[in-house]
Amino acid sequence: MSTPVHDLPAQQGAMKKQPAHPSRWKRSRGTRVRITNGLFKYYFLFSILALCFVLALVIFFIGKTAFLTFNEISLSQFFLSFDWTPEEGEFGAASFIVNTFSLTALTLLFAVPLSIGMAILIAEIAPKWLKSFIRPILDLLVGIPSIVYGYLGLTVLIPIIRSVSGENLGDGLLAASLVLTIMILPTVSRISDDAISAVPKKYREAAYALGSTRLQVIMRVVLPAAGRGIAAAIILGMTRAIGETMAVVMVIGNTSQLAKSLFTPASVLTSNIVMQISNVEFDSTWNYALHMMAFLLLVISFGLILIIRLISKKRGDEAA
Amino acid sequence: MSSFTPTRKNKRALVWDKAATGLFYALGACILLFIFWLLYTILSKGLPGINLEFLTKLPEEIDVGGGIGPVLFNSFYILILSLIISIPIGVGSGIYMAEYAPKNKFTEALRMCVETLSSVPSIVFGMLGLAIFAEYFDIGLTILGASVSLAFLNLPTLARVTEEAVRAVPSDLRNASYALGTTKFQTIRTVVLPVSLHAIITGICLVAGRAFGESAVIILTAGLSTSGEMWDFNLFSPGETLAVHLWYVQSEAIVEDARQIADKSAAVLVFVVLFINLLFRVPLWFNNRKMKR
Amino acid sequence: MKLFKKISLVAVAAAFILSSAGVGSSVQAAGSVSGKITINGSTALLPLSLQAAKEFQRLNPKVKIAASGKGSVTGPQAVNKGIAQIGACDWDASTDVPGFKAFAGQVANKVAVIPFATVVNKNVGVDNLTTEQLKGIFSGKITNWKDVGGSDADIVVITRAFGSGTRVNYQAKALGGGDIVKKAKNYKEVGSSGDMKTAVSTTPNAIGYIDLVYVSGDLKAVKHNGVAATTENVIKGTYKVWSYGYYMTKGQPTGATKAFIDYVQSKKFQEGSLKKLKFIPISAMK
Repeated sequence: MSTPVHDLPAQQGAMKKQPAHPSRWKRSRGTRVRITNGLFKYYFLFSILALCFVLALVIFFIGKTAFLTFNEISLSQFFLSFDWTPEEGEFGAASFIVNTFSLTALTLLFAVPLSIGMAILIAEIAPKWLKSFIRPILDLLVGIPSIVYGYLGLTVLIPIIRSVSGENLGDGLLAASLVLTIMILPTVSRISDDAISAVPKKYREAAYALGSTRLQVIMRVVLPAAGRGIAAAIILGMTRAIGETMAVVMVIGNTSQLAKSLFTPASVLTSNIVMQISNVEFDSTWNYALHMMAFLLLVISFGLILIIRLISKKRGDEAA
Repeated sequence: MSSFTPTRKNKRALVWDKAATGLFYALGACILLFIFWLLYTILSKGLPGINLEFLTKLPEEIDVGGGIGPVLFNSFYILILSLIISIPIGVGSGIYMAEYAPKNKFTEALRMCVETLSSVPSIVFGMLGLAIFAEYFDIGLTILGASVSLAFLNLPTLARVTEEAVRAVPSDLRNASYALGTTKFQTIRTVVLPVSLHAIITGICLVAGRAFGESAVIILTAGLSTSGEMWDFNLFSPGETLAVHLWYVQSEAIVEDARQIADKSAAVLVFVVLFINLLFRVPLWFNNRKMKR
Repeated sequence: MKLFKKISLVAVAAAFILSSAGVGSSVQAAGSVSGKITINGSTALLPLSLQAAKEFQRLNPKVKIAASGKGSVTGPQAVNKGIAQIGACDWDASTDVPGFKAFAGQVANKVAVIPFATVVNKNVGVDNLTTEQLKGIFSGKITNWKDVGGSDADIVVITRAFGSGTRVNYQAKALGGGDIVKKAKNYKEVGSSGDMKTAVSTTPNAIGYIDLVYVSGDLKAVKHNGVAATTENVIKGTYKVWSYGYYMTKGQPTGATKAFIDYVQSKKFQEGSLKKLKFIPISAMK
């Protein structure tokens, strides 16, 4: 994908095949082409609508149960109370919400510089052989199942954190965010890599012609030009971080309290849902509240996506 | 060269440039070392114990030496089914977003939909699949249900990656094609897709790798048991996959060699992802070389 | 929505015909039992269910059994909703237990005896704890090992999530109904027996509880009120921390479900595979 222009001969080859059709097709061919053209437009539209339908299904399915919550408990209790003791009828989700934000922020803090640095290295700096070596290796990380990450986090990372910090347990936001960083690193860096590679060569050449160094070209020309794609990469990484469950559950400690330090055993929305959903009755406030938390998760990621979009749009306008 | 005398600013820029290059390499080296350590930890524990018997035998509950035959088969079966469902829709919507979507509020909303969908935790897709297939259609825990639910999970990433890939195709190419009098779809089929194929396939590999290692969805929709036969293509059989089996032996199994089976299963999972990547990449790579010549 | 349901039903039906045509099975065969059984619920009983399903399907090839596990309470709930014929549960869900109401109209079929053990990390010097001491530790009143006869170190409490069958039984039998602390610095919840084992064995000064079958070399089981957690002590009646494992059914089981439960309760399975899985046969308890 790095230099699409070079692939041009392939298309020319593909196009040359076309006139080989027998001539008696000629009249109907035009109609057929037009029909396929129209049909496929609707097919593509249908696919995106199907995708939205899935989202609607998810929202309907979760929302249906979620909003039963507020028949039993007040909005203010759910959003403002830090006391989550469902056995005693206390359904305050505030600590999970705050923890979810802290965990996502912390993860992005680690992951974004690392993965964009990695993307720049692959796309701009490294020689060709190194590129074709690093890319598949990064992809491999995606394929490692999250429970393996969780297990390694529990057996390797946490003892290290424990001995460095002197804590008794070591579980908490730091451990969780480090595990998440590794998990989203390949997604963010590979998609940013594609975005950076797609920046037209002429931009770079123009900048070099003005006497810029490589660093200047990267920072002032390539990165702003690839901003859209990089923002998309960060969004994908972030949403995965928010939605990840199986690995986080193993290293975060699962205690319903506000994470006051990096080492406090805590719980985020996803980990709390996963830990408790299997042990509640279907028709209980508790179950409704957990569905409400899943719904909230959707709302939060929607909001975060919106914010990142606005920021990247502003940046994009400035660069243009 | 000699006529150019660098100013202080130039010199500083050059020093920064050198330092940054070094820094990027150092960062890359650290991450690569880390990845190798990770892969080594996983593979070295598991790979030595893997043999054909382990890959084809049925899992055991009591005796040591159980295999992963049917679960490995189910993994591939469910992965392929889910890709068959999700690739046409995912790639289709990506193409729509990149090529057809007008620049307006509606398109923005569609894009937000895709991104929000990508943030839905996998367990929610599992709950959705359970509600649709086990409750609504009353067919129990099945391979079919798992494939569809897994396809839901694949969709947003596929759509997003395709969109970026298609968007990255220079508009010169499209214009050249239009100039030859082709319709929009012909241009997409003959120009845009071949050019962006590489990136789309990268995306499919990423999705396949993630789907292969996914467990939360499958536990809820396909269950933790197999039909006990090796080649069971029945869509209505329970379909435990390798990642689920890994979760099971790590969490609940009481067979004595559970730890070893978990290590071996993890190694097989990573190995398969490596294999999938190679399978798709190598032909592409050769293709690229041929074209360049 | 109606239309959608119809369309998708047709699609599902078509898929069904296609797939069953490939297998070419005649569903109703005279003589032997046939049918489809879904087991859901307790993960602690899952190894037993999987093993029993495997043996039973070998004897009755016309029966298809799918087993899955999430949490004890899912079992009877799935049965209520009709998603599963058998709900595996670590307590008798046809009666009230603390935190969960009884499921009306369900029958509890005993299938096994599950003993539980208090476990500590190997670095902990304590090897006997009384009910009072355990109550103090798990409720957060005792926070240092020196208060229960160990060395001077903070106690790290590791527990299962509320509603886990292991936790319900442990709280009732070992803690005498006592509370488990919710918010503390050295407190952690884990999601499964395997996680419990890993967490306790890798965290110094940790205490937790687990089904006896998972206790192995890298954990230390402590005595409860001076009685060691062993199968013999459970059968003798001196070790009290155990419970029955149940298969919940909607009304009395019938057909294939009945045949399956009968098989699990049969002497052949109870004295054979069930014992090998280190559960205790129900007939051993008097």
